[in-house]
Amino acid sequence: MKLAGNDMLIQSLINEGVEFIFGYPGGAALHIYDAIFNQSEIQHILVRHEQAATHAADGYTRATGKVGVVLVTSGPGATNAITGIATAFMDSIPMIVISGQVQSHLIGTDAFQETDMIGISRPIVKHSFTVESQESIPRILKEAFYIATSGRPGPVVIDVPKDLTHPDFKFDFEYPKEAKIRSYNPPILPLEDQVKRAVEAILEAKQPVIYAGGGTISSNASNELIKFQKLTNAPVTNTLMGLGVFPATNKNFMGMLGMHGTYQANMAMHNADLIIAVGARFDDRITNTPEKFAPKAKIIHLDVDHSSVSKIIEADVAVFGQVKESLSAINKLLEASESQCQDLSAWHEQIQEWRSKHGLNHNLFKNKDDEHPILPQAAVQHIYQASEGKAFVTSDVGQHQMFAAQYYHFDEPRKWINSGGLGTMGFGLPSAMGAKLAFPEEEVICITGEGSIQMCIQELSTCAQYKLPIKIFNINNLALGMVKQWQDMNYDGRHSSISYEDSLPDFVKLAESFGHVGIKITKNSQLQDGIEEALSYKDKLVFVDIYVDPDEHVYPMLVAPEGSMKDMWLDKDLKT
Amino acid sequence: MENKPGALARVVGLFHQRGYNIDSLHVDPITDFSPYSFIEKELSITFKADEISRLTIETTVSDSLMRQILRQINKLIEVLAVSNEKSTYLKGVLRDENLLR
Repeated sequence: MKLAGNDMLIQSLINEGVEFIFGYPGGAALHIYDAIFNQSEIQHILVRHEQAATHAADGYTRATGKVGVVLVTSGPGATNAITGIATAFMDSIPMIVISGQVQSHLIGTDAFQETDMIGISRPIVKHSFTVESQESIPRILKEAFYIATSGRPGPVVIDVPKDLTHPDFKFDFEYPKEAKIRSYNPPILPLEDQVKRAVEAILEAKQPVIYAGGGTISSNASNELIKFQKLTNAPVTNTLMGLGVFPATNKNFMGMLGMHGTYQANMAMHNADLIIAVGARFDDRITNTPEKFAPKAKIIHLDVDHSSVSKIIEADVAVFGQVKESLSAINKLLEASESQCQDLSAWHEQIQEWRSKHGLNHNLFKNKDDEHPILPQAAVQHIYQASEGKAFVTSDVGQHQMFAAQYYHFDEPRKWINSGGLGTMGFGLPSAMGAKLAFPEEEVICITGEGSIQMCIQELSTCAQYKLPIKIFNINNLALGMVKQWQDMNYDGRHSSISYEDSLPDFVKLAESFGHVGIKITKNSQLQDGIEEALSYKDKLVFVDIYVDPDEHVYPMLVAPEGSMKDMWLDKDLKT
Repeated sequence: MENKPGALARVVGLFHQRGYNIDSLHVDPITDFSPYSFIEKELSITFKADEISRLTIETTVSDSLMRQILRQINKLIEVLAVSNEKSTYLKGVLRDENLLR
């Protein structure tokens, strides 16, 4: 078969089973867009800003595990995509970004809409390719998908000069069956010796904690993790990125850990004699001061990425390989082992004591009359109840994100979709679009704030065009709440540049102007009914603007700097 | 590493991105492969002239940071092997004591 460069690109994507391309056309990408026009297997989703294209592809990937594909033009198209690529990179999300480039002979001449996309994106991609000939397109696409999805996943950029997609120049096209890169062999199976040493440490532990992160989700290792917990009876905590990989309603789940983790999860980490890190990377939002981290604990670290192990916290036993395979191997050895795990009842009792002393859910529903403002936590709890805990929930970044992570209890992986590593405001709405396109029959909820939502609010138009009935819950506290909280705590309440109260749009009217439904909730007595009403619109996007207590803070909160994981603010005036 | 456009920039960029300093740097295509036959053997490949470059970087860091730098460089897709006087990291092949921990 002979194809031109533009058709080769699209045919390669079809061969990879791509369903959607999220993108925005422009000069350098015009030939590629013509190839999209001439086929019917892939649907192109026209966003309103390239940042949203990357977030939508990202949300699609987090919800499905399949690779999201982005297509943008050169120059501003490419640079607008950068934030979304960095977001995917920090959370190890596979993504293919195809950027148009000016014609080969113009590269380096400061041509119209020319930018060095490969240079600009270099620190935030797993790898990148410049297409130098049409014949190389199928191979590059195959390698790009392989690199993006294998090992520790990540985004891959393919920069394509316009002349190499010209429809008049056709070449033989054969899509490779597999990619082989001699300088890239990510580990899959763990070494026997590493697995043996991990099991020895597990059998000895009296106060173990399983600390599972996003790598457990990207490796699809939820079942193996649940089995591992049953075999060891160890309590489990999840990172922000790992929520859902272990069922939140399981009695052995301690909640999220870290900066805004639960009291019991952080206390258990600090007092553990063994921490089994599964696809987690000891991020600074977890460890607090690394020198004071878990002083008594041995560390077992399961990861596919060598460079993540012993980067922040020295591992005693490292198990390199796909987390799914490593857990399976450990489970097998545990089942075959003649020795039993230690009796952990005293440890579980201790955790239960912490949980009842300072666990979440205290005081939430007191003051629920209309004299008192709505608590943002209560709003999330009502959303959780009304959606029966089964929705896909995307979030933006800030207080609402932490409240959602704390009070929406995820029982399945891939249901919780948020920007953990980069902390990208504007992520929530477009990522919900990607999830909704992938699962049109499922409830997709975006929990956002009035600050974040305005960073990609133009996508309300995209939702109207493709009829995406997402439910947006805007936790509106009239200010940049998390910044305000830090200013309250560290800057004597000097609220520098966090308020825009008098210039906020009427979100209800704004939603209605796109043909969506808007609901405004200002009182506790409206909360439950308003949320249930929103979810009752099956075919409409509903924007629910919930006015909440503007002075509420997120707790617990690790004390920094110099604190350990046991040092927490539990309330505005209560410290451990 | 593969002698490809952009490969050098990835290594140099990594040093800046991760906050490591480069004291000196030297890069040239490899013509004599005899010191690298172990790479060919381990990865079951055969090098051809001008396909591979050797990059020599001097940097002054602690041992633990050195290990981190080696691992970060080894992660770059176009790097075949990276070593210092103590350790050698090869793609997908664990031959270093540090890696076993």
